[in-house]
Amino acid sequence: MDKEIVELLARRAGLDKTLAEFREDVFVAAQQAATVAQKLAAPVDVRVETWPPMRPGAGL
Amino acid sequence: MNAGLGLVDGPLHFLSAAAAAHAIAARELSPVELMEAHLDRIARLDPTLNVFINLDADAALAAARTAEAEAAAGRLRGTLHGVPVGIKDIIDVAGLATTCHSRILADNIATSDAVCVSKLRQAGAIVMGKLSTHEFAIGGPSFDLPWPPARNPWNRDHHPGGSSSGSGSGVAAGLFPMALGTDTGGSVRNPASCCGIVGLKPTYGLVSRRGVFPLSFSLDHVGPMTRTVADNALMLEAIAGHDPRDPGSAAAGNGHYAAAMDRGVRGLRLGFVRHFHETDLPAEPEVTAALEHVARTLQMMGADVRAIRLPSLGEFASVNRVILQSEAWSVHARWLRERPGDYGRLARRRLLAGAFLSAGDYVAANRRRGEMIAAVNSALAEVDVLLCASSMDPACRIDRPADVDRTYTRQARTPFNVTGHPALAMMSGLSSTGLPLSVQFVARYFDEAMLFRVAGAWEKASGMDRKHPPIG
Repeated sequence: MDKEIVELLARRAGLDKTLAEFREDVFVAAQQAATVAQKLAAPVDVRVETWPPMRPGAGL
Repeated sequence: MNAGLGLVDGPLHFLSAAAAAHAIAARELSPVELMEAHLDRIARLDPTLNVFINLDADAALAAARTAEAEAAAGRLRGTLHGVPVGIKDIIDVAGLATTCHSRILADNIATSDAVCVSKLRQAGAIVMGKLSTHEFAIGGPSFDLPWPPARNPWNRDHHPGGSSSGSGSGVAAGLFPMALGTDTGGSVRNPASCCGIVGLKPTYGLVSRRGVFPLSFSLDHVGPMTRTVADNALMLEAIAGHDPRDPGSAAAGNGHYAAAMDRGVRGLRLGFVRHFHETDLPAEPEVTAALEHVARTLQMMGADVRAIRLPSLGEFASVNRVILQSEAWSVHARWLRERPGDYGRLARRRLLAGAFLSAGDYVAANRRRGEMIAAVNSALAEVDVLLCASSMDPACRIDRPADVDRTYTRQARTPFNVTGHPALAMMSGLSSTGLPLSVQFVARYFDEAMLFRVAGAWEKASGMDRKHPPIG
């Protein structure tokens, strides 16, 4: 992920202090997120709804 | 105390919770004697195991004296009367700090018990104190926190698994017969696998999470950790049940989970998910051999073992990570902005990832989740229980970050956090280096009794409940 984009996203998330103090950790985290999101396959059926996370009685 | 009934066999520190409760009820064992035996063992072993963040010995002894007086008067609180229990330190115990093993919450004194702790007390269990965890149940094992990480009692140089590290290590080492853990990506079943005990992630919503510090709302589960399958069922009976004040609580009640434990596996259909450990994440040969041995043993006992395919572990893992990190970011955002230096490095890196995931990623992951639930439900329509790997490796050394990183994701536990199905991990054998190997069983929603039936059959055939770490 481009460093300038990471910085931009980090500042948008309010992480200015974190970026100043733990710059490497911010970049490692951004890379982790990019990797995991990239591996996410699109749903097979575009009509699939999300699982309602707070309604296990009905959802399960 | 009564004498001569023969209910107490072997050292008190390895007495099962069920046997201890039975002996206390029969007045053959004093809760004070039982507690003192465990406190003595803690004094000897915990300086090198680091299981406790906060041992509440005085309160535990006082509660044991009360339990003894109640037993003498014929008043038993419940099925766990006088039995010691350890509590993972992200779960509230009134009057004690819930630190989450972090500087962030070092002074966070709980004003009331979590529902699961309250239920254990109602059943008569005695809280001994708060146990080590990975920081906020995600960042560990870490050496840059106020408390050291727990160690594996089978070999102190090795990781006990996490995040419920103290719970797993302490149960295996005989510091207490049972403990509470939590499981968002495998955190009950990982230490159960590394430490050779029984760890259950119940059906999502079966056990209340109220009073438990959240990691990821829709993936978090509270689960029992014990040395025997029967104890696990007993503990689940105590803590399960609907909680109208937990938005994730299921409407289902609790059941008699041990009822079918002695029925064996004859006629049951077991689906062996081999691709998890053969092709998705190829396991160490000893892990594979032990899994095959479990399957063969259950087959010889009358089970019909057949192959089952599910989505790949990689697919499950990416869905789990996106949901977990997105939800965890929503919990930690303010502290990560204002107090980043108060986190350990591992937790900080893992929690920060959520800041870089989009709402679209989160929705996409939850949509894939629906399809994965359908896939597991479909498999469980064909078979009664799934059998698969838990960890692909024995516990690695705790002081080698590269090994911790390498083995951290080599597991098959996250699929069932994603889907919410009940899953139990237990010992399948020992490695050539003397470390526990593991197997995992998975059942239909709210069919924990079936899990205990299969796990109980394997335990009976293998004697895994009688294998203890060679310490103290």
